[in-house]
Amino acid sequence: MKTKPEKFFTWVTKNNKVVIIASVVLIIMAGALLPGIKMNTSPTAFIAKDNPVLAYRDKVREIFGLKDPIVLSVFNDKGIYNVESLALIHNLSEKVKSIPGVDPNQVTSIATEKNIVGTSDGMSVSPFYDLDELTSSTPGNVKRALADFDIYQGNLVSKNGKMALIIAEIMDTDSAGAASSGSKIYNEILSIVEQTEAGNNSIHVAGVGAVQDELLNKIDQDAKRLNPIIALIITLILILAYRTPKGAIIPNILVMATAVITIGIMAGTGVEFFVITNALPPILIAIAVADSIHIFGQYYEEIRDNTGRSKQELIVRTMTRIWRPVMLTSITTISGFIGISITASMPPFAYFGIFAALGVLVALIYSLFFLPAALMLGKLKPSKALGASRHHNDVFTRVMDRMGQQVIRRPKAILVVGAVVVVIGLIGAVQLQVNDAPISSFRPDDPIAQADKIINENMNGTTLLDIVVETKDIEGLYKPENLKKMEKLQNWIVSLPFVNGSTSIVDIVKKMNQSLNENQKSHYSIPDNEALVAQEFFLYAASGNPADFEKYVDYDFQTANIRVSMNSSLFQDKKVVINEAERYIRDEFNDENISASLSGSVSLDYEWLKNLGSNHFFGAGVAMLLILLVSSLSFRSWVAGLYAVFPVIVAILLIYAVMGFTDIWLGLGTTMFAAIAIGLGVDFTIHTIDRLIFFIKEEQLEKELAFREFYKSTGRALLFNLMALVFGFSVMLTSSVTPLIQFSALLMVAVTASFLSSMTVLPAMIYLTNPKFISVK
Amino acid sequence: MNTLTVSLCAIALTSVQSLVIAQSLPTASTIVKNTNERNDGRFVTQTTTLELIDKRGRKKTQVARSFRKYYGKDKAQAFFYQSPTNIRGTAFLTFDYVDKEDNRWLYLPALRKTRRISGSEKGDYFLGTDLTYEDVNLGSKISETDYSHKVIGTEIIDGHKCYVLENIPKTDKLKKELKYGKTKSWVDAELWMVRKTEFWDVQGNRLKTLQIKDIKKIDGIWTATTLYVMNHKTNHQTYLRFANIDYKTPIDDGLFTEESLVNGI
Repeated sequence: MKTKPEKFFTWVTKNNKVVIIASVVLIIMAGALLPGIKMNTSPTAFIAKDNPVLAYRDKVREIFGLKDPIVLSVFNDKGIYNVESLALIHNLSEKVKSIPGVDPNQVTSIATEKNIVGTSDGMSVSPFYDLDELTSSTPGNVKRALADFDIYQGNLVSKNGKMALIIAEIMDTDSAGAASSGSKIYNEILSIVEQTEAGNNSIHVAGVGAVQDELLNKIDQDAKRLNPIIALIITLILILAYRTPKGAIIPNILVMATAVITIGIMAGTGVEFFVITNALPPILIAIAVADSIHIFGQYYEEIRDNTGRSKQELIVRTMTRIWRPVMLTSITTISGFIGISITASMPPFAYFGIFAALGVLVALIYSLFFLPAALMLGKLKPSKALGASRHHNDVFTRVMDRMGQQVIRRPKAILVVGAVVVVIGLIGAVQLQVNDAPISSFRPDDPIAQADKIINENMNGTTLLDIVVETKDIEGLYKPENLKKMEKLQNWIVSLPFVNGSTSIVDIVKKMNQSLNENQKSHYSIPDNEALVAQEFFLYAASGNPADFEKYVDYDFQTANIRVSMNSSLFQDKKVVINEAERYIRDEFNDENISASLSGSVSLDYEWLKNLGSNHFFGAGVAMLLILLVSSLSFRSWVAGLYAVFPVIVAILLIYAVMGFTDIWLGLGTTMFAAIAIGLGVDFTIHTIDRLIFFIKEEQLEKELAFREFYKSTGRALLFNLMALVFGFSVMLTSSVTPLIQFSALLMVAVTASFLSSMTVLPAMIYLTNPKFISVK
Repeated sequence: MNTLTVSLCAIALTSVQSLVIAQSLPTASTIVKNTNERNDGRFVTQTTTLELIDKRGRKKTQVARSFRKYYGKDKAQAFFYQSPTNIRGTAFLTFDYVDKEDNRWLYLPALRKTRRISGSEKGDYFLGTDLTYEDVNLGSKISETDYSHKVIGTEIIDGHKCYVLENIPKTDKLKKELKYGKTKSWVDAELWMVRKTEFWDVQGNRLKTLQIKDIKKIDGIWTATTLYVMNHKTNHQTYLRFANIDYKTPIDDGLFTEESLVNGI
């Protein structure tokens, strides 16, 4: 009488051609969807679209016409107030203006802006300098004029006189009417910078716009480079493991199917490809190949141990024996990813979890259908790597065997080491710090990270907090008492750490008032007369663009924006500023006539990072519970479930200890590792428990022999499983996007720790305690 | 006649027609000359209503009594603001000279001072509108000195035949000063008034459209009573409406002085 699994795999192997054709058609169909994939590297991608903070920020951006600019900096250690630097700033500004898609009216630098100077009978509005009239006295004059212009100090030129910025905004459409491509403009700016003779100056490119565009560039390069290398490495490991063509080709097709179908469904359902999604294909490749490794290991053992049987018989035997652990480990891995997706408050992580789970499911389906069907093709050939009999061992088998002998000899010592790791891990976990910064997506030696650093060192800072002030009445911002409140807020906020400056309509009012009063310093203040404020703006309009104040105040003079610059984009630094600013606004600013609220990148980043820590532990917890549930149910024993999960907990705690003691943050790149590592790590323990039950309960081997056989068979397969994961993930270490590097490094350490722990702690536990689920009654 | 002959004749006829059209198009310099020689009154007094609308549709309305007088080819203009309250009494005086830098003064009642605004360019915006000083200065005329012109055809605007002129600033310096890389004007073929102008910025991006509407004959002079500008880049709009137009009452030269700015009208 055939069992159900036997019947199923007999059907699959009998109808192998139909299965293969269906599998290939599915790959082609999904492949056709791939070109439709949409990229999204914007920092706002990490916030749910219906989040009120995001909605408010978008409203604020619309009111004040704010965009994410690309920033060029010109730096000269001896100061920029010299003919060469001023000419360079002018020429760069002009070149950037001429790039299609750049709004020439929204290119801002000391070469494009005008100086407003009060004279004895009026005021004069003129450029700070003219390229045609650059003489040896110009730099000194420009320096003096700018020293008098508070709004530009720290924003367009550094207070130390060593740096000037050129800020470029991109239009929605270019002159040909086509949609502007930020990354194309960014690349064009890079090539302009490359071709520019900078002399004694250095030019850097940064800014929020540039960061996003550079990330797009890098993701694109990474995807093209990393995935083929990973596939190649996996192939090498497969060849090493079984030394047969089938053992290398079939898993490769399976891996391709997993990656193509998963990303294809992503494209087909319109889900965007985020920064972290780049980690998805390598992870899927490494996971998908694990199923194959175990199936092929079993298959070649069957060939070796059962000479004379037909190919179909051997395949059915293999699959009947292995489908359970393969399915079980896939379900636990899926549980890990589901843990991520249901606890994630950031859409990219939620989608990552969903599609990684989907990918594992695809890999499982292909392992159970396509793999046995494909094995039917070609001749029956044993694996040279496994040798001719159980007693012929290759080097990998011998290594695992020796490991097993050590474990059986010293189980207590191993458990003590395990307990020590748990204690240290708990101490480390307590010291874990949630932190991140958009710029830390790049390696510290990356030009864009260098640019950000040097700009933050010299200027007010590239990280912006917007404080939106609203008055009860229309034209309330002409009222001196309201302006004075804003001035007080601005004076207070620069006392906070990392806050270096702020600009608002108040600065413009003060500057105009000074100009109207013969440029006297004593008149750099808010006038006491409401009508005068209104008339000063009217005066400005005598030469300014009607949209000039758009960035600072709305048309009705009811809503104004105070832009606060910080020179740190670290979450922990922003948190302090946000909390303090919220307190000030609540206790000292808001009243019945005027109120303020926070927006801008600082409050946005704070919003999505503030839940990162709790999401992380919640996600890991949910993954752990799901896996405990799944493994307990399938082994029909809660104790077995706990045995499966415990070694993984040890491994994860070890990582926490490493992170806690070495100051690796829990951030964008590192937050997902725990849930994934749990899902992957438990595969090792499940295969271990499953095989020990098989040897002890079903084959009724004597305990010590069963353990040694386990190390030589499943132990060897798990070693290759680990190698596939570690070498696969290791390719991501060469990525140019830091979160990917951190993520893969932690995963590598975590799966290695899980492997070691399920090869040592778990067998030692079972060996010492003889749990009921494993022992013969 | 067979079909071939018919079509040949048709082709010949069409060619002759287009030849006639080409011949009937006046040269660019003729169009510009006729436009600029059109009488627009040696002096005029009017009430100017400025309607400024931002991209979100919020509207500001300002009303001023305004005066204009020619001194040869030079021109003086004065604006006395009557509303809204917070700028009432504000007055603006400008002298546009053909051969020297323009002069501008603004009187701020809250400061009780007149301020001279120097160094501003032709391409600077005029009092919060989408028009530049040069646009206001030209009105429905065309600048001869700054642009080179080309006739590119005829089109119907608001039911009137117009010649279409393409105007390009003569030098790069002028482009920067005017802040235009190119303009295109539709000149009414009968009245010799510009009915519409399209503007492109120095980089060739579409900038704004000026429409001159509600053209009426007042005191024997064809007069545009509405100017409408749509700025395509900022989505800001401007309406200038002229009412109580009077070409008959002479304007005293004393009106165009700093004292009169302070004293008002």
